[in-house]
Amino acid sequence: MNRRQGRGHGTDLRLPLPARLCLLTLLSPPLSSAASISPPEPISQAYRLALYMQKNTSMLLWTYLQYQGSPFSDPGFSAPELQLSSLPPATAFFKTWHALDDGERLSLAQRAFLALTQHLQLVGDDQSDLNPGSPILLAQLGAARLRAQGLLGSMATSMTALGLPIPPEEDTLGLVAFGASAFERKCRGYMVTREYGHWTDRAVRDLALLKAKYPA
Amino acid sequence: MALFAVFPTTFFLTLLSLRTYQSEVSAERLPLTPVSLKVSTNSTHQSLHLQWTVHNLPYHQELKMVFQIQISRIETSNVIWVGNYSTTVKWNQVLHWSWESELPLECATHFVRIKSVVDDAKFPEPNFWSNWSSWEEVSVQDSFGQDILFVFPKDKLVEEGSNVTICYVSRNIQNNVSCYLEGKQIHGEQLDPHVTSFNLSSVPFIRNKGTNIYCEASQGNVSKGIKGIVLFVSKVLEEPKNFSCETQDFKTLHCTWDPGTDTALGWFKQPSQSYTLFESFSGEKKLCTHKNWCNWQITQDSEETYNFTLIAENYLRKRSVNILFNLTHRVYLMNPFSVNFENVNATNAIMTWKVHSMRNNFTYLCQIELHGEGKMMQYNVSIKVNGEYFLSELEPATEYMARVRCADASHFWKWSEWSGQNFTTLEAAPSEAPDVWRIVNLEPGNHTVTLFWKPLSKLHANGKILFYNVVVENLDKPSRSELHSIPAPANSTKLILDRCSYQICVTANNSVGASPASVIVISADPESKDVEEERIAGTEGGFSLSWKPQPGDVIGYVVDWCDHTQDVLGDFQWKNVGPNTTSTVISTDAFRPGVRYDFRIYGLSTKRIACLLEKKTGYSQELAPSDNPHVLVDTLTSHSFTLSWKDYSTESQPGFIQGYHVYLKSKARQCHPRFEKAVLSDGSECCKYKIDNPEEKALIVDNLKPESFYEFFVTPFTSAGEGPNATFTKVTTPDEHSAMLIHILLPMVFCVLLIMVMCYLKSQWIKETCYPDIPDPYKSSILSLIKFKENPHLTIMNVSDCIPDAIEVVSKPEGTKIQFLGTRKSLTETELTKPNYLYLLPTEKNHSGPGPCICFENLTYNQAASDSGSCGHVPVPPKAPSMLGLMTSPENVLKALEKNYMNSLGEIPAGETSLNYVSQLASPMFGDKDSLPTNPVEPPHCSEYKMQMAVPLRLALPPPTENSSLSSITLLDPGEHYR
Repeated sequence: MNRRQGRGHGTDLRLPLPARLCLLTLLSPPLSSAASISPPEPISQAYRLALYMQKNTSMLLWTYLQYQGSPFSDPGFSAPELQLSSLPPATAFFKTWHALDDGERLSLAQRAFLALTQHLQLVGDDQSDLNPGSPILLAQLGAARLRAQGLLGSMATSMTALGLPIPPEEDTLGLVAFGASAFERKCRGYMVTREYGHWTDRAVRDLALLKAKYPA
Repeated sequence: MALFAVFPTTFFLTLLSLRTYQSEVSAERLPLTPVSLKVSTNSTHQSLHLQWTVHNLPYHQELKMVFQIQISRIETSNVIWVGNYSTTVKWNQVLHWSWESELPLECATHFVRIKSVVDDAKFPEPNFWSNWSSWEEVSVQDSFGQDILFVFPKDKLVEEGSNVTICYVSRNIQNNVSCYLEGKQIHGEQLDPHVTSFNLSSVPFIRNKGTNIYCEASQGNVSKGIKGIVLFVSKVLEEPKNFSCETQDFKTLHCTWDPGTDTALGWFKQPSQSYTLFESFSGEKKLCTHKNWCNWQITQDSEETYNFTLIAENYLRKRSVNILFNLTHRVYLMNPFSVNFENVNATNAIMTWKVHSMRNNFTYLCQIELHGEGKMMQYNVSIKVNGEYFLSELEPATEYMARVRCADASHFWKWSEWSGQNFTTLEAAPSEAPDVWRIVNLEPGNHTVTLFWKPLSKLHANGKILFYNVVVENLDKPSRSELHSIPAPANSTKLILDRCSYQICVTANNSVGASPASVIVISADPESKDVEEERIAGTEGGFSLSWKPQPGDVIGYVVDWCDHTQDVLGDFQWKNVGPNTTSTVISTDAFRPGVRYDFRIYGLSTKRIACLLEKKTGYSQELAPSDNPHVLVDTLTSHSFTLSWKDYSTESQPGFIQGYHVYLKSKARQCHPRFEKAVLSDGSECCKYKIDNPEEKALIVDNLKPESFYEFFVTPFTSAGEGPNATFTKVTTPDEHSAMLIHILLPMVFCVLLIMVMCYLKSQWIKETCYPDIPDPYKSSILSLIKFKENPHLTIMNVSDCIPDAIEVVSKPEGTKIQFLGTRKSLTETELTKPNYLYLLPTEKNHSGPGPCICFENLTYNQAASDSGSCGHVPVPPKAPSMLGLMTSPENVLKALEKNYMNSLGEIPAGETSLNYVSQLASPMFGDKDSLPTNPVEPPHCSEYKMQMAVPLRLALPPPTENSSLSSITLLDPGEHYR
């Protein structure tokens, strides 16, 4: 696995002003009058947020792995075979992905980020037990969850603007195995942070496609 | 006997009853076989939990039984553990027993069976084991999911240094499984094709978040999955150290200890160890909330003796320490209060304080520390509630800090904290006379005495010195003493005294009183005789001085000194030496290297009159000179030059100048005589000359080569070395002959210049004398020749009266009178009706006809006029200077004169066709311009004289015709001529 190293720890919370404003606006629930908003604007906003998130995903993964010990913290660690059944996979055949219509595309992303926000919450809880003295990791996990929520809101606004139905919020985690062993939780955290990166990459592509389709 | 009779009977009966019982059990209820064996597992503790019952036990009876338990792993034949369990079994009792497996239970199926035997005293006969129960199989693998790989035990908590067995279960035996502990591969033992176990011995503590152990299943290079566990290794719990309890108030016991390492682990696997305080006499227990101290409430009815056990506990271990003590022996007093000082005077004070009362009739031991003047005194005192201590032998005017601490006197446990206070003793009169010395300067008619004194030490000042009293008393004449009061902190004063003997008393005064007086007598006689100064060598430690004792009685000697270069008053020091001493070492940190100090040694007579004995001067450490002299080069000749540095001061140097080194560089390899070869610090070679006399500040460097390049460098040296490196000065010797040449050339150049200047200044005169623009005939040498040869009466024609020559060919039969006018105006008015030709006759006789003419041309004049090529009548203005200068040579003139070509000016007689020549040299007829010369004029050498003035073109003559040479008409402008 090629891991990109970020510029430093703890940078995630220092969002640039546009991103912060973006988050603030997007965290608010979609307005009922959203239908009056033209599609390009929320799509563009969502795209910008996804782009911003993309810059921090590898940093989050790297930070997470550093706190878990070997083999996670070993150089070049990658375990693609580890898959979390509760998270939809971000990978898709290109043809299938390309053939998706707007509604399907946004629904899939919507579902994935909904699952991710819940999983990031779980991972944050796990790590605050295991690594209570590591505010950097906890802050990064918290920031990632907040951004995922922001993207959710942003995509919901876009769907409303496009006149698409918003998929209902559901508990994607289901029954969590609270008795999971420490190692299992470490693995789970790894898979969540990894998939968060993959889904963010995909969201950038999704939104770029939509942005091209609905130019401002 | 009766006893013996009874005993066998009783024994027999008892035995009989037992036999009966046994027969009942064995015959009726046997076998006592364990039944209903159930085995459950606890994965967390890796334990098998067995429970069973024993059938056939008599109702309400208890039997001691031994159960043998066999445990097999993987298959029943593989027995891994056999053990006995003894217990008392009641009727209908469910028995429990646990066994902890080293191997995680998930990794292998276990089988358990049990058998029993009665081991009860009621059955003294040997018993037989029951039959084995059937094997009970225990397997937890059924609860696994669908994964291909499992690693056990999960999240196990162990202590550092313990042995741990881990294992993995691989569902697919095709997979290659590798296991790692913190990145390092570990190797295990295969239990069956699916299961491998790893024995980790003495596991280390790596971090409190646990140690990762993981296994990776792969086929070829393809990873099939990673599974792992986190092994939580705890530090070994330490026994608490330094556990002790004490009370300050008999209400609370404060117990403290050193907890040692915190054994807390991450993920809430193990919290920090807990501490519990248990008192065995009261049976009370208290869970401590702090990890290193705990308070225990003392109740009124509690005993004075306590037996405390401190228990430290974590999930893995329990540690305890015990102390037994009497409460009264563990009294840690609170620090004393109300510390005060009473009756403070110059040398003593009373210190008072109070102690917090503990119980009645308590005696306290108190310790007092007195800090002052860099010293510390300690006193112990035994008191009741109120403490008091008399502090004596204090120094006046000194700040002290006194502090006190107390402890239980009967059972010393520990001192309380200190309580302290500062106080200052009162002042007292200074206890010692100030150390006074003086400098006496003799001046005409009086002495100037500068008194110096050293400030009293704090020990002797006994307070703040406010002023110094100087009392001057004349010893020769009865007079009133003078009192000078000099406020502190001055340390000197100047007195001007007449030539009498004076006694000077100096006292130091503070607010309480005056010190004893210091007395000095100034003698009326000159105190100093001529004493030679001696050079001494100091050391880093100072100067060692010795002197000859003063004859007569002395009360002591004084050595004073100061910096040689500094102002005397600035750095003046002195030292008193006893009367029997004739040497001393002056050592002070103030001596600086490279500074010259002057010492004077005085003897003090019994009358306290000082007599200068010796003078010494020296450096504590001589340094190399700090600068080099400024060297001048004198008398540079081709073979020598002189170097001189007269301005260099040898006195103000950081060492005694011993001489100079002169370095000389030249192209020649050989050094000059007196010079020796030396190598400079930069490695270059040169010649060195040493001057050993510091006052010899010049050197003649001779035997040099002319026109050669030399470099020199002069540096002084002291015992510490030479002066600083500096650049060499360059000198080039002059040429051998150049000096001589200069001697000749210079005057010559001067003379030439002088002449040139004179010539310039007198140029007008010279010009007029030697080469005037218009030669003055009177001044001509020709005149004398003429006079000498022919006509002594001959006079020089006045040019102004002349009419220039004109040679005119008159073709008219009748004569034309040509008017020659003396002025230009008249000339312009002249009508030259037919001035056809003007011939200049050849000067040579053989020249028969008109020949080539010589034309005197002055190009500065009208070119047009001159180009006309005509010679013509030239009217010469009166008083015009003669035109001799226009003649090419005096010889021509001379010839002309010899041939009597006399100056004639006139008119050619009318009717004659002749050649009229109007000579420029013709003598005028003394003002009569109309008169013509009588003598005919033969044309001299044909000369053409071009006009020297601008002539109007209309006056230009016509061009010459044949047989005519170039005619010339000279029209003279009087304005042009009079220059």
